Amino acid sequence: MMQNDIQNIDSKGPGAASDTLLVAEELRKVYGERVALRKLSFTLTAGRVLGFLGPNGAGKTTSIRILTTMLEPTSGRFFVDGISSHYPERIRRKIGVLPEGLGFPKQINAIAYLTYFGQLYGRPAADAREVGLSLLDNVGLQNRAKSPIGSYSHGMRQRLGIARALVNDPRILFLDEPTLGLDPRGQHELLMLIQRLARERNMGVILSSHLLSEIEGICDDVVIMNAGQVVAHGTVAEVVGQTQLNANQRNAVRIRVPAILIGKAQAILEAVPDVKQVTPADAAAGWLVAEFSEPADGNGHSPEESHPANSLLQALIHAGIPIRGFEAAGGRLQDVFLELTAEVIQ
Amino acid sequence: MNSELAAKGRRIGQQAEVSSRRAPVWWLIFQQEFAELWLGGRALNLLILFSVLLSITAFLLATNADLSLTPPPLAEEILVQAAITFGLFIGLIIAAETVSGERERATLEGLLLTPSSRRQIVAGKFLAALTPWPAAMLLTVPYMITLAQGDPALLPALIWGGLTGTILAAAFTALGLLVSIWSNSSRISLFVSILLYLTCLLPSQLPGQVQATPALIVVQAVDPVEAMNQFLNRVIVNSLPQVGIGSNPGAEDLTWLYLGGVVAVSALIIGLLFVVVAPRLPLEGEGAGFIRSITKRMEASR
Repeated sequence: MMQNDIQNIDSKGPGAASDTLLVAEELRKVYGERVALRKLSFTLTAGRVLGFLGPNGAGKTTSIRILTTMLEPTSGRFFVDGISSHYPERIRRKIGVLPEGLGFPKQINAIAYLTYFGQLYGRPAADAREVGLSLLDNVGLQNRAKSPIGSYSHGMRQRLGIARALVNDPRILFLDEPTLGLDPRGQHELLMLIQRLARERNMGVILSSHLLSEIEGICDDVVIMNAGQVVAHGTVAEVVGQTQLNANQRNAVRIRVPAILIGKAQAILEAVPDVKQVTPADAAAGWLVAEFSEPADGNGHSPEESHPANSLLQALIHAGIPIRGFEAAGGRLQDVFLELTAEVIQ
Repeated sequence: MNSELAAKGRRIGQQAEVSSRRAPVWWLIFQQEFAELWLGGRALNLLILFSVLLSITAFLLATNADLSLTPPPLAEEILVQAAITFGLFIGLIIAAETVSGERERATLEGLLLTPSSRRQIVAGKFLAALTPWPAAMLLTVPYMITLAQGDPALLPALIWGGLTGTILAAAFTALGLLVSIWSNSSRISLFVSILLYLTCLLPSQLPGQVQATPALIVVQAVDPVEAMNQFLNRVIVNSLPQVGIGSNPGAEDLTWLYLGGVVAVSALIIGLLFVVVAPRLPLEGEGAGFIRSITKRMEASR
């Protein structure tokens, strides 16, 4: 009895009985001489979706495997809903995971599969089945509950994987590349489902993905990793804002015109005062990047003065060239991502 | 509607936590594996192969018996040894594919992510892989009865054969699981398991004079298959009054040495599986690292 009490006290840490669901403190993983993860520290709060970004080999999957107790960190610790990483079995009761490339038995049907996993989490068979049915309804698979999993499309399997990850009503849901291999509609639907589940169930979601534009759309927070270390952490707006982009990016815009008119548009833009250079970014799609000179005071133009970007648009409109897209360079998560990951590689 | 269902699911979940009608993990895993093994047809295919091999052996022994070349006790001994040797193979190869196959199909991670005890996961898989063994033994009985033709050696052959066979089937199933846990690929685990199996059969292929040396007696005692062969030879054939083993007390002592060998080595393998390896069942097999290091060394030496 006393030993149990000590264990309970010992296992409670940061995040216990609060909105903070996950606290990672200086997690490090070394394989032989290779450092796969260096000092990973971040927090996750309830009801929020955290995007876990990084190029291949950045340490995302290693981090997720450590946080889901599949790997032991070489050093550091973490707490899930106040439970210390020293109690992996208790942590597994609090988390749901959709690993990258999760396999499914092909012969059995979805409801039998979910019932089985519900039972592994300690539910009696009848209750596990009922929970399974409600989860299939949640993820939009209620009409295929009795179809063999082998007959499912990739998108349906991913949905089933999410349902499986929810059988224990987790506090945190880990999703490793859930949209990989899905068509654009499938990606969009799955991301909307993830966002809805996070809000409805007030759970924390950690979403690892390469799809930066989609991540930007549904994530509240982001952790950007590169070469095993965190290079940025915060809300999407904070990360985009805090990153020091170079002068060229601060003073550049991307403009999309019809591909057939790209040469003409380039010539027109180059003739605009303050424009340093215009280069095709993606000629086939009609994207041009126009860089203009930095204002002498370094603080931008005065309000009454026309911004060079406006002049660029005016020039194109005046020439009768249709503008199909316009965005400030460096204002997207993708730009920050490319900037940060390139810096560490260099 | 969805929220209502989700809330309902959550309520059920909370009720489930206090419910006492939970099935143990090993039983759930066993049921799942058992269904996959038998309904998937794998166990049945292996038992058909087993029956074919046993039929060929029994036919050869029966024709020899008709020519009075093989007396019934010896025929029974050979048949029960063959049945055990083939039967072990079934458990071994089923077990060898169990964990490494799940790694290949990427289904192991889902299982390991549940709060289930890893020892219980392995126990469920172990018991399921062992289920073809009783069926194999049952298939052997009619062949034995036919060959025995009322010979008194039938009963000891069935009792001792059943006992040592069951011990060895458990040991070889455990061995297959050990290899499977070690390996990431079912091909590698099957290859390594078959290699170990053939190594165990090797001592019985050595010439008679070599088999009588003290060093080989030790090898026979620690090789579970050969120890089983030696033990059954003594309890089925040599112990019978008409063969007259009673005049050789040394041989009688070795009978129990061989049985001890079967039991000890089997206990060691099963203990290694459940006490040392199963509680740490890893997501990735250590065999991958081992093979990588060998490849690196080979590349470095070139």
